[in-house]
Amino acid sequence: MAESTQHDTLHKAGPAHGETIHLPAPTAWPIVLAFGCMMAAAGLVTSLWVTVFGAVLMVSGCVGWFRQVLPHEAHEDVPVVVQPVTITTTRKVVRRLEIGPEHRAQLPVETYPIVSGIKGGIAGGIAMIFPALAYGLLAQHSIWYPVNLLGGAGVGPSAHITTAEIAQFHASWLAVAIVIHTVTCLLVGLLYGAMLPMLPNRPVILGGIVAPLLWTGLLHSAMGIINPQLDARIQWGWFVVSQVTFGVVAGLVVAREGKIRTGRGLPFFARMGIEAPGLMESHPHAGPPLDRDEEKH
Amino acid sequence: MSAIPVSVGMERWELPSRGRVAMLSLITGESAIFTIFVVAYIYYIGNSLTPPYPAQVLEIPFFNTVCLLSSSVTIWLAERQIERGKMRAFAAWWALTIVLGAIFIGGTAMEWHKLIYIDGLTIRTNLFGTTFYSLVGLHATHVGVGLIGLLTILLFTLTGHVRVEHSERIQVFALYWHFVDAVWVVVFTVVYIVGR
Amino acid sequence: MADQTLPIAGVDITPRRRSTAQMLEWLHGWVVTVDHKRLGILYMVYGIFFLLVAGVEALAIRVQLAWPGMHFLSPETYNEFFTMHGTTMVFLVGMTIIFGFGNYLVPLMIGARDMAFPRLNAFSFWLTAFGGLLLYYSFIGGFGLYGMGAAPDTTWWAYAPLTEKAFSPGHAVDYWALSLIVMGFGTLGTAINVIATTLSMRCRGMTLLRMPLFVWLMLVTSGLTLVTITPLTAAQIMLTIDRYLGGHFFDTQAGGSAVVWAHFFWIFGHPEVYVLVLPAFAIANEIIPVFSRKAIFGYPAMVAASVGIAFVSLGVWAHHMFTIGMTSVGNTFFVLSTMLVGIPTGIKIFNWLATLWGGKIRFAPPMLFCLAFLFQFLLAGLTGIMLSVAPWDWQLHNSYFVIAHFHYVLVGAIVFNIFAGIYYWYPKVTGRMLSDTLGKWHFWLFLIGFHLTFDTMHFVGFLGMPRSIYTYEPDRGWNTLNFWISVGGMIQGIAVLIFAWNLVHSYFKGKEAGNDPWDAWTLEWAVPSPPPVYNFAADPVVRSRRPLWDLKHPDDPDWKYEA
Repeated sequence: MAESTQHDTLHKAGPAHGETIHLPAPTAWPIVLAFGCMMAAAGLVTSLWVTVFGAVLMVSGCVGWFRQVLPHEAHEDVPVVVQPVTITTTRKVVRRLEIGPEHRAQLPVETYPIVSGIKGGIAGGIAMIFPALAYGLLAQHSIWYPVNLLGGAGVGPSAHITTAEIAQFHASWLAVAIVIHTVTCLLVGLLYGAMLPMLPNRPVILGGIVAPLLWTGLLHSAMGIINPQLDARIQWGWFVVSQVTFGVVAGLVVAREGKIRTGRGLPFFARMGIEAPGLMESHPHAGPPLDRDEEKH
Repeated sequence: MSAIPVSVGMERWELPSRGRVAMLSLITGESAIFTIFVVAYIYYIGNSLTPPYPAQVLEIPFFNTVCLLSSSVTIWLAERQIERGKMRAFAAWWALTIVLGAIFIGGTAMEWHKLIYIDGLTIRTNLFGTTFYSLVGLHATHVGVGLIGLLTILLFTLTGHVRVEHSERIQVFALYWHFVDAVWVVVFTVVYIVGR
Repeated sequence: MADQTLPIAGVDITPRRRSTAQMLEWLHGWVVTVDHKRLGILYMVYGIFFLLVAGVEALAIRVQLAWPGMHFLSPETYNEFFTMHGTTMVFLVGMTIIFGFGNYLVPLMIGARDMAFPRLNAFSFWLTAFGGLLLYYSFIGGFGLYGMGAAPDTTWWAYAPLTEKAFSPGHAVDYWALSLIVMGFGTLGTAINVIATTLSMRCRGMTLLRMPLFVWLMLVTSGLTLVTITPLTAAQIMLTIDRYLGGHFFDTQAGGSAVVWAHFFWIFGHPEVYVLVLPAFAIANEIIPVFSRKAIFGYPAMVAASVGIAFVSLGVWAHHMFTIGMTSVGNTFFVLSTMLVGIPTGIKIFNWLATLWGGKIRFAPPMLFCLAFLFQFLLAGLTGIMLSVAPWDWQLHNSYFVIAHFHYVLVGAIVFNIFAGIYYWYPKVTGRMLSDTLGKWHFWLFLIGFHLTFDTMHFVGFLGMPRSIYTYEPDRGWNTLNFWISVGGMIQGIAVLIFAWNLVHSYFKGKEAGNDPWDAWTLEWAVPSPPPVYNFAADPVVRSRRPLWDLKHPDDPDWKYEA
């Protein structure tokens, strides 16, 4: 099995000029049957006789078709005419994408596992409770104030509510706030973990500074439209502080986790966890498929 | 185009049979049709404004069901016989399949006759009549088409035109019959057990 | 061109005078053909013909709406025209053209001599063709006022109970239901055939993961068609039972439900959009790599995303029905499932962008249309996500915003890619290139007309203009916008006429193409143009996703890299 002959040709040795190839013979029965079907349907909107006519055509079409394929399919022999075909290109030179070490197309070889993001989310979620409660105590003289803001936001628009009411304890609002807080922290942690491969080197800066500022900015611009009552009660300075607490703690937790290797060199199926012997064993040493580019010369 | 034989591709190259693929595709499409009719039936259970209601007129067709379901077994036995080249046994099992299918169709005809002439339930009587005759009728149509196919094959077998090499085609056709039987299980459950 | 002297080679395009007998023989050859290439051409010609017909209907609608208080069409004709425009474009244009592409290209791309079932193929085509004729016969045959014909006029989604006998007497609705049942079986046959062909007729070495993405997408489309067209057929049978046998499926007076029709229709209707758009993706998957001179980026992800789109599309239908009144659980489910579609489609968009990135892009007409497609499909997807939000939909449902959104998909994505595909494969089919100059005129005029029409439609939608209205009061603030929408429609019409002229003119006078004018990589370019009836004189053998790349670059073949 010489390598050189393998890619020289696409075709096996074929019939030469003048030989014939078996092909299904043309037949009129399919069109007869199709016309019969249409006429049978058309009879419903015209006249019963059209349906009868259609049915006759259908039966004869079926019988005719049957006789075409049984006992042997009707064939015709088409003579082969060898025509000149050129399979060549003027773009002979292949240029590869040059991927330097700093190139953005280079995915990291090592990254933090996504699970670490979730762990960070849990830790950060616990940590950010403290600045939030501190805000409640210091600014509003009630630890329930921030809890109720969150819970109330989930319960619905609280148009006619007073500050004193928000400062009181409400069991249902607490429950809602806990649910919202837990789910949000887990989801943000998951998002954080998913973003880690993009900024793999500075988890604390990503989580502690960049993400909270982006998130706060987004909320600040949107909250006035979504829930103006809530917007009026949020103190954005304190908000940023608790967000940064979340991010820094989450980042620290992530940074403590060890890095893992990304499966970048592996084929797609191996990364998907699928064992597909026929698909990947054939070229075990093949490098990652590169994008290729051609140039005219 | 050069004509140098290549040495690759000497490994085995097997593809699924086109008949089987096509029949399975057809069955997928048919299942969708039946799904829509079954969903309509279930949705409209108990929505009829006027009698007769299913509980008053429907009788569970046990005998029919047994006949149809056992025809799946007989056709499977026939498939095995033709694979081994025993054409007479094949024809016998095949004919038995047709008899069982015909009993089913006959049973359905008797059931409908009773419903129409004794209970006065037609397709336009009420919503139950509409959905019942449509769903059961759709299935009966499939049984009927299957019977025509079975009969044609039997005729060709008796005249000696069906041989061992056709066993693949026979099996493809049998897939359809199995499908028709399987659909009956659904129709039976929905119409005679859930809907009654 | 070698085959001009050889009458047996593929389509005999030699322009010469024929005697009547020769003409009849030529015609007979087309009628009895079971060759997948000829049937593909028949599908395409049929589709393009009805594209012109439905286009004329659309233009008539636009003239009627160009100014308040117009009486260009009668109200009855107006209703017929928008119903027939929708029905024709979906069933007689979209479906036939995509299956035309599939029929012609799938066997060539997988190295087969024909489809798995050539006779079934012919049967399916003629069933579709005759079904379409039956539908259009309703213009003269349907029983209408004063003995005039009456075409279906109940919109293309034909909501019950309007379609029941009491509200739609005469036969117009029957024509609609019966012809769609007939066409539905034709489509089912073709879908089965494409599946059997791709799975069972591949040449040696063409494993599933070496198939061109076009073939993959046609396989997914056909699979989706199996479970999409059939519910419509079932619903049409129910409608026919209601109308002919006095059934009560959709008869609200007897306990039936009109909402059930809406569900059944959209169980078909929404996946149908994907049946149409996946082949459009398929065309882009072939054209974008060739004109970027790069392999497609993320082949397995593209396959997975296509299958994913098909799956998700089966669970989103009721987003057409937010205003019909469903439970909040139902609304929420369909909001979320609809948004889910954005994920696999997003994967596709990014993969196409990544294919373009760093490539040597050639701005030939096929590529121009594909680039416009990328941009427009993104916008269509974004308005789709807006509409998937139930409260937003409550505001804008059945307004021109919805019309603008789905025309962005159907025209901006599908029609643009159909044009791209025709420019790309026309040389293969006829042996001659389409004119580049005319192609660019076509592209730019169509692009300008498209954006003038459909961008503007979003705004009249915001201003509250509902769809399907015959005319409107002059004080609504819609006048100018509507006028420009109609102007845009006319520009598109001119562009399509240029295209039609290009098709005819280049057929006789076009530059000869040779077998591989675009320097492409899939198997169809390895045979002469037009291909001989037997496609491949000898069965080809492939070792990678781009067999022609391997031949053109023997020192650097693809199979060294493909895992």
